[in-house]
Amino acid sequence: MTIPAEGICQSSRAARRPARDGRHQPGERRVFRRATTLMAPVILGVALSGCFTLLPSRGGGQTRFVAPRTIHVADIALPAGYRIEPAATGLDLPTGVAFDEQGRPYVTEAGYSYGGVFTTPRLLRVQPDGTTAVIAAGSDPPWNGVTFSGGAFYIAAAGHREGGRVVRVGMDGTISPLIDGLPSLGDHHTNGPVIGPDGWLYFGQGTATNAGVVGVDNFRFGWVPRHPGFHDIPCRDVKLAGKNFTTPNPLTPDEGDRAVTGAYVPFGTATRARQTIPGEIPCSGAILRIRPEGGEAEVVAWGLRNPFGLAWSPAGELYVTENAYDVRGSRPVWGTGDVLWKIEPGRWYGWPDYHAGRLLGDADWYRAPGAEAPGYLLAEHPGIPPQPAAVLGVHSSSNGLDISRSAVFGHVGEAFIAQFGDMAPGVGKTLAPVGYKVVRVHPETGVIHDFAVNRGGRNGPASWLESGGLERPVAARFSPDGSALYVVDFGVMTIGEQGPEPRLGTGVLWKITRDGGGAP
Amino acid sequence: MSWTCPRRTTLLLLFTLAAACGSARRGEPIIGEKRVPDDTIAVGQQVFDRNCAQCHPGGERGLGVALNDKPLPAWYIRFQIRNGLGAMPSFSSEQISGGELKAVARYVVWLRDQGD
Repeated sequence: MTIPAEGICQSSRAARRPARDGRHQPGERRVFRRATTLMAPVILGVALSGCFTLLPSRGGGQTRFVAPRTIHVADIALPAGYRIEPAATGLDLPTGVAFDEQGRPYVTEAGYSYGGVFTTPRLLRVQPDGTTAVIAAGSDPPWNGVTFSGGAFYIAAAGHREGGRVVRVGMDGTISPLIDGLPSLGDHHTNGPVIGPDGWLYFGQGTATNAGVVGVDNFRFGWVPRHPGFHDIPCRDVKLAGKNFTTPNPLTPDEGDRAVTGAYVPFGTATRARQTIPGEIPCSGAILRIRPEGGEAEVVAWGLRNPFGLAWSPAGELYVTENAYDVRGSRPVWGTGDVLWKIEPGRWYGWPDYHAGRLLGDADWYRAPGAEAPGYLLAEHPGIPPQPAAVLGVHSSSNGLDISRSAVFGHVGEAFIAQFGDMAPGVGKTLAPVGYKVVRVHPETGVIHDFAVNRGGRNGPASWLESGGLERPVAARFSPDGSALYVVDFGVMTIGEQGPEPRLGTGVLWKITRDGGGAP
Repeated sequence: MSWTCPRRTTLLLLFTLAAACGSARRGEPIIGEKRVPDDTIAVGQQVFDRNCAQCHPGGERGLGVALNDKPLPAWYIRFQIRNGLGAMPSFSSEQISGGELKAVARYVVWLRDQGD
């Protein structure tokens, strides 16, 4: 139910009428009443604005899950004329989908998830009856994405333990690395890949940290003790502002010990103003490309925090989703929505000092409640970032995407983005679940429409709603003929006191088709 | 009985509480396709999705509060966008022009009313 503002105005008009005994209200009371009428929305606004600090976090993962996961397509809402069905269920941490020359779908299972769960990364063929056949199994999780070209699969084998790789997988399951040693030992990994219209293989490389500084949050992720010398690497030389951060030092047993850490350096290393950090390739926070037969990586674009999803439009433009900052670590950044970018070759996209084309220096925008403003890490910025194609929900974890190219499915040229959903409260507080759906985005206007969501009065994952719908969509890819949108659903991941709690065997591959209705 | 000022304020707050019990969801899959009725609201939709939706996705609760279930008048929406309040930052005229400000306030009111 919604109460329109006009209803309040009618009450005001009623109050201005003479009283039944014919006497008018005293003038001072009329003034007071008008002031109160004007102030009421202000009072209401103040009350609502205070909610963020006062209310607890209510992320979609902050729930309890009782196995098994149930599947009820009727619990998922789509625009008129579209239908959804599960193509495969019971998957372990699925992350990507691709199609062979016959149009048969294949999924990657990551083999690793936040929460410290390690299994075997696999490439599976999905059979028409929903069963799966193992094509390949690897040893370098997480496998974060897959594409198919020229009779082979290309997989981002992120190498959480030994460094990222992009590998070629033949139809017989033979795995051949195209490139290795990618800087994937930290928070974010190697993502994508996709084949471009120029025949090159494009992929995303995430950053080591949230906002450029190795901190205690990265110990919680577990990688600093394994790789204490790891840090972010710029693609080109950068000059530092010399900002350092003092934190507890978990590397020593003395609880009172402190560490001082700057940007682009290992934990416990201080920096100075105008210190130059040399650029290297491969670098972190970038879109890179290599030839499908292997070779050296080239930088396409950089200054991207975690470029997760990559897709080419029918017009030959590369679109990328970027997971924006979290409210964690030595340099928390508040209120930054995930971003859809149209990539311009050679551009710098702003990390670690911008969000969506806006400088982080504005404390009113980016200072987390109770924390210092993030300020700047760089003394000189490598450029001015472009404006984004769209800005998506804060903590929505907008991940895999594809661009529609078929009138059969509709919305040609628009992006369909899988939103994994928030990981609150670890990444920051949200007042309600954010994400857990597929959205449709017009890349020119930036207008965002829900496309596939769970039914009900509130948005959230099926486990939170206690329904049989979507959990955590992580990838979206159209079939080769463009008539069906396949959505990879990672499965249930609750967020407990110790962090993420992924549930094996709860992943689903969904298939969405259009079976009628007007032309969208 | 006359409508005294404190009663009206109380009523407004009660309306808000009652409205908050209703759903703020306005997405096409939930309520069907709703085409914006004029160019001004279309501009407002673009301004909203580029500036506001990241915290109020679709006008629903997210990082910030839901907007679709609050009976806030357009003038107050414009005031809060310009001045910010609490956790919400302010938007200058360089970030959202005067025309865009009016358009986005109209869009927020229009979007809210689609749930009726």
